[in-house]
Amino acid sequence: MALTVTLLSGAYVRGRCCRHQVLHPLLGPLFGNSVSKLYSSYRRPGSQPEKKPSWQNTDLSFKKSIDVLKTQLSMLKKETKDYLTGPGGHPLSQYLLEQTKVVWEFRSQEDLNKWVVSSDVEIGGKSEVYLTLGRNNQAALLYGTLNTEVPRDGETKYSGYCSMRAKPLVGSFARKKYYDWSNFNSLFLRVRGDGRPWMVNIYTDPYFSHQKDDLYNYFMFTRGGPYWEEIKIPFSKFFLSSRGRVQDDQHPIWLDKVSTLGFTIGDKVDGPFQLEIDFIGLLNDRAHTEEFAYEKYERNPRV
Amino acid sequence: MNPHAKLIFYMSLLLGTTITISSNHWMMAWTGLEINTLAIIPLISKSHHPRAIEAAIKYFLVQAAASALVLFSSTINAWHTGQWDITQLTHPTSCLLLTTAIAMKLGLVPFHFWFPEVLQGSTLTTALLLSTMMKFPPITILFLTSHSLNPTLLTAMAIASAGLGGWMGLNQTQIRKILAFSSISHLGWMTIIIIYSPKLTLLTFYLYSLMTATVFLSLDTIKVLKLSTMMTSWTKTPMLNATLMLALLSLAGLPPLTGFLPKWLIIQELTKQEMTAVATIIAMLSLLGLFFYLRLAYYSTITLPPNSTNHMKQWHTNKSTNPLLAILASLSISLLPLSPMILATI
Repeated sequence: MALTVTLLSGAYVRGRCCRHQVLHPLLGPLFGNSVSKLYSSYRRPGSQPEKKPSWQNTDLSFKKSIDVLKTQLSMLKKETKDYLTGPGGHPLSQYLLEQTKVVWEFRSQEDLNKWVVSSDVEIGGKSEVYLTLGRNNQAALLYGTLNTEVPRDGETKYSGYCSMRAKPLVGSFARKKYYDWSNFNSLFLRVRGDGRPWMVNIYTDPYFSHQKDDLYNYFMFTRGGPYWEEIKIPFSKFFLSSRGRVQDDQHPIWLDKVSTLGFTIGDKVDGPFQLEIDFIGLLNDRAHTEEFAYEKYERNPRV
Repeated sequence: MNPHAKLIFYMSLLLGTTITISSNHWMMAWTGLEINTLAIIPLISKSHHPRAIEAAIKYFLVQAAASALVLFSSTINAWHTGQWDITQLTHPTSCLLLTTAIAMKLGLVPFHFWFPEVLQGSTLTTALLLSTMMKFPPITILFLTSHSLNPTLLTAMAIASAGLGGWMGLNQTQIRKILAFSSISHLGWMTIIIIYSPKLTLLTFYLYSLMTATVFLSLDTIKVLKLSTMMTSWTKTPMLNATLMLALLSLAGLPPLTGFLPKWLIIQELTKQEMTAVATIIAMLSLLGLFFYLRLAYYSTITLPPNSTNHMKQWHTNKSTNPLLAILASLSISLLPLSPMILATI
């Protein structure tokens, strides 16, 4: 691996010097002005330095592997029992009749461990974000400072974002599991913000890698007051974006394989921000009949 | 979709199916299978939804690999025996490879993983085509080569399919996935009897296509894709809701309905062939599917839900029900008294 990288970077240097000579087909991306991420060794300031490769990290102790196997088997047993009860571990009658469901509640540190915070420090920015439990362990407090100063690396144009994202569900033996929210049509959030607008992002399962940047977004405008707010966002309002760019070909979100939910703040205003979240739930709003809020790309839509 | 394009795709599907089922040479069989694969890909990915594209990619990859295996097995057989006749498949490696290839084409366990996702990503009409018409050429090939395939392997795959189809269907809430697992389970029943009585396989397939067509066409009429919407469909089409339930119970194989007929005849034939243990196992495994369908029927038709619907698509048009649907529904519910005639011909 290291040898290949050295050879390729050597070829890159030589290629730049002798560009007038015949281009080798395999070294195409090394020529020209764009720095291909595969071959460049530039590390962004916020990202971690090269860690030990994973093959040096393997722990070959037998006892630990038996413990891991026991944990996974007990998880598998629990999953089978839940499977026999009904969808999602509850009886089918509950699935068919439920109108509200709390998915994430913030009452203890392990609830917080299900979420990951990140900010533009990864690309070299200066925003800070922290996630702790709020007063009396009744809510999660996401707070920090937004700093829109652009990192000086020559290619970044904008900066200043902080986000919190749920970790995807993992089943026994590290299998991917998904949330099935197809029975609900709105997201229900009990939050207390500081007046700043947030963006809610839903990530659905991408099986193939061309979809890995697809995200469904909508806005959450918070009031600054001392009172808690209950925000209902119907799923029909979520629009599709990929890598931050809103797509032309819109379609309603399919809720049967939801992977993660996230909140992002990036409203180009420097300064502190704070969001307290009591719980995040789902609602089947019987009065909401809209299927999709935006026009689809079809020329002759089927009624 | 452009009507000319649609015409070409549907004609290609018919062409591919006809070529395969009327072929004697392996090349023509393979050609028909490939034409079918290529023609249905645009139909699956018509809506450009990411899940539809994902379904189309998965379908293409699996079916292309299976077609390559069909070609490979026929080539090995031609190399060793010097002829390309479908019914003269004699080389053991060819037989094994062909069994694998047909299992992949049909969606038999352990090559079934693509099937629920592909069905979930396509529209109801395309899902109907995938479950019925696209299964017909591989079953024909299986019919023609069944005498030379390994019985143990086929029986093992059949029992696993019947079991897995029932088990995985237990907690599904998306109707297309439920029908995918019912398809896998029925394929298990079709495969278990192919060595002993291929006519029964074809009978099972025809009755299965009839019942599946009824279910898919009913779902298309009431525009229902998930369980919660199916529960409230009685407000718009109460009769169709009840008929849909009977059709689903018929798919499950409940006695006075048509779906019981193939199961009964298969168990009878297996018992005649001294395979009572296998017959018992497969009958027990289909109870899993029956449990699920009964639970579904109970919650959606026998007990009415307390809420009204907010799925407005059902209320958009006032089209009357398709007469074809009426014919198919009557056939798929009440064909069991025809069994003496069928017994006479088997």
